[in-house]
Amino acid sequence: MVLFQGGPATVDRLREEIQGVFYREATNTFCRLVTQEDRPLKSMIKEAIAAAAPYVQVPSHLMRLPTGEMRGVNYDHTILGWRGAISLMRELGDARGVLPSVQAMWYVPQGLNVWEQVICEFPGHYARDGEQCNRKFPGPDEHENRFDGPAWNPPKIYFADHAPILGGSVDERLDRMSWAIAEGDKVDAYGLFLGLAQDPANRKRLKDAILFSGIIDLQDTIINRGGYQNIGHKALRARALVDIADYLGWDNSHELMYTVVPDLACSPHLHGLWTEISNICRMEIPDHASFQNRSDRPLTERELDILTEALLWGGPAEVNSTIMAFFKRGAGILDIGDGVVVAFQKYIMDVLEHPNAFLHPTHALDTMNVIMTWCREFDNPHRVKGIFMGARFMNDTVRSNAMAPRDPQSRLEPRAKFRAWADGIAVDRILPVLKEHLLAQDAPRSCALVDSYLERTPERHHLLDTITYAACHWQNDPHVMRNCSSSVEEYRHNRTSRKDDIIRGYAKHQARYVKRAQTHDCFNVYVDHFKPGNI
Amino acid sequence: MHTLDEMWRVRNAAAVTMGLTEDQMRRAVRAASIDEIVALIETFAPARSSGTEWTRTFEPLVERLWSWCDDATMAALADVFRARGMPWLGVANALSSENGSTIRADIRHPAGARLPAFTLV
Repeated sequence: MVLFQGGPATVDRLREEIQGVFYREATNTFCRLVTQEDRPLKSMIKEAIAAAAPYVQVPSHLMRLPTGEMRGVNYDHTILGWRGAISLMRELGDARGVLPSVQAMWYVPQGLNVWEQVICEFPGHYARDGEQCNRKFPGPDEHENRFDGPAWNPPKIYFADHAPILGGSVDERLDRMSWAIAEGDKVDAYGLFLGLAQDPANRKRLKDAILFSGIIDLQDTIINRGGYQNIGHKALRARALVDIADYLGWDNSHELMYTVVPDLACSPHLHGLWTEISNICRMEIPDHASFQNRSDRPLTERELDILTEALLWGGPAEVNSTIMAFFKRGAGILDIGDGVVVAFQKYIMDVLEHPNAFLHPTHALDTMNVIMTWCREFDNPHRVKGIFMGARFMNDTVRSNAMAPRDPQSRLEPRAKFRAWADGIAVDRILPVLKEHLLAQDAPRSCALVDSYLERTPERHHLLDTITYAACHWQNDPHVMRNCSSSVEEYRHNRTSRKDDIIRGYAKHQARYVKRAQTHDCFNVYVDHFKPGNI
Repeated sequence: MHTLDEMWRVRNAAAVTMGLTEDQMRRAVRAASIDEIVALIETFAPARSSGTEWTRTFEPLVERLWSWCDDATMAALADVFRARGMPWLGVANALSSENGSTIRADIRHPAGARLPAFTLV
């Protein structure tokens, strides 16, 4: 790879490279600004978000085709990469903690103008990989994929920036904003958010309200639905806004708000599952608004087994019924949520095999992480419903994957087959070996090493660090950082006896999930600039 | 409270019922034409399946097809689905001779058992 090294590194240059889809150059400039120009990493993250902000909106997440049918239009992932990167910065620490930010930067220019990408009129990740545009519309050089960038047109702006909407009581404005999001009024939703965000006294309630709006917008099923789903992206996006604003400072986050809030109001709006869960809660547990997060009666081992059975092998009604029984017998909201998170790991650990099949289940896990965080941090009266929503999404992804016959060519060897081999490695040598096998995408051996480590030592921090750092070697995919962040966060909070299963599922995911590139060009740029001691 | 011997009797009764069902299915599959077996396999397509509970029985069905059908029948079935391209690739791979060899190597018929010990129920 040849990097354009000449000339000074400036923020203007970074902006031009982002908007022109020079992703390699933009990443190099980003790194030079931090390492050579001593610009604070936080400030450069803000600049990168600002450069992308006008170009991440779409008219709709459904596109009408000439045939009259509709196809889905992907959600912006640039902001999700930053949210994961900021979270992992603290986990990995020092120079190693910068790697996820460099990966987020690498992706940003590839993730602009999604509407144009899916119709092959703008370069980037979707046009190059998912849509395979170069096959449909090749350039003069057949060996060069012109959809890898640079751009030949400026990116389009589908939603201009707006002024804050002020006036009225805070309660009234929060209600109007929530309704505007649900109804699809982007102008009101965004303007009201901007106005409310100006006063620090409103921000706690604003965070709760924006997360709530994201969480309740979730499809009831993805089975045979094509693009008529959001696979949790409204909730994931709201979480990104809250976390990144806390990191940058709310007074320093206008472009971040511009990136996130209008899209929360973008069509389609999927409130069917929310309506169902609201109805069953009203009928069965009308006092649920008073339920506590924790109880002195968390789920028993037998109940965790029952929950696992319902989540992995049952249908929607069984999931509802199982969770409802736990609430009715007095378990706490997070007690049950913790159970849902560990139960789902059994699916990742023992059932998932095909690399492509991880995509929807891990979106469900990340959405559950948003719901759990919201339950942990806010006293919203609808928290109980969030647990149902997350569990139903997880169960639906299991069922969706099970709708296609299993391909024997994706079969994995059992992890137990390599356990004796793993046990033969000295415990203080396991982590470097694990890293090698994660990078080699050898799931059975990686999982055997994790099983062995978990049983031979109580140490967990370095194990999580090893999986996370190895995962962040892979480029072009903000899902990686997001899932790292969710897995680590849920592990830290989980109170069940089975919390180590979260690490087992995490390792399996990162050792098997389909990769968008087989090379580590971005990692190499990071090493060149930041020179981490232990690579 | 059921005693252990009562529970074992119930289990044995269920096994006899299952065995008779397997016998009926084996006779039906052996009497079926290629087109009829193709029609059965087509019901496992995501757009046709009655649900995940049905689709999850695809692997047990494939295991039985490899036990009950001859190589010519299996090759004909594989040809039909391989010709349909990507959407049916997983099914074609399940019907491939490589997968058949693996399945046949895994299935045992214990001396005291009435039926082969299928690995999947």
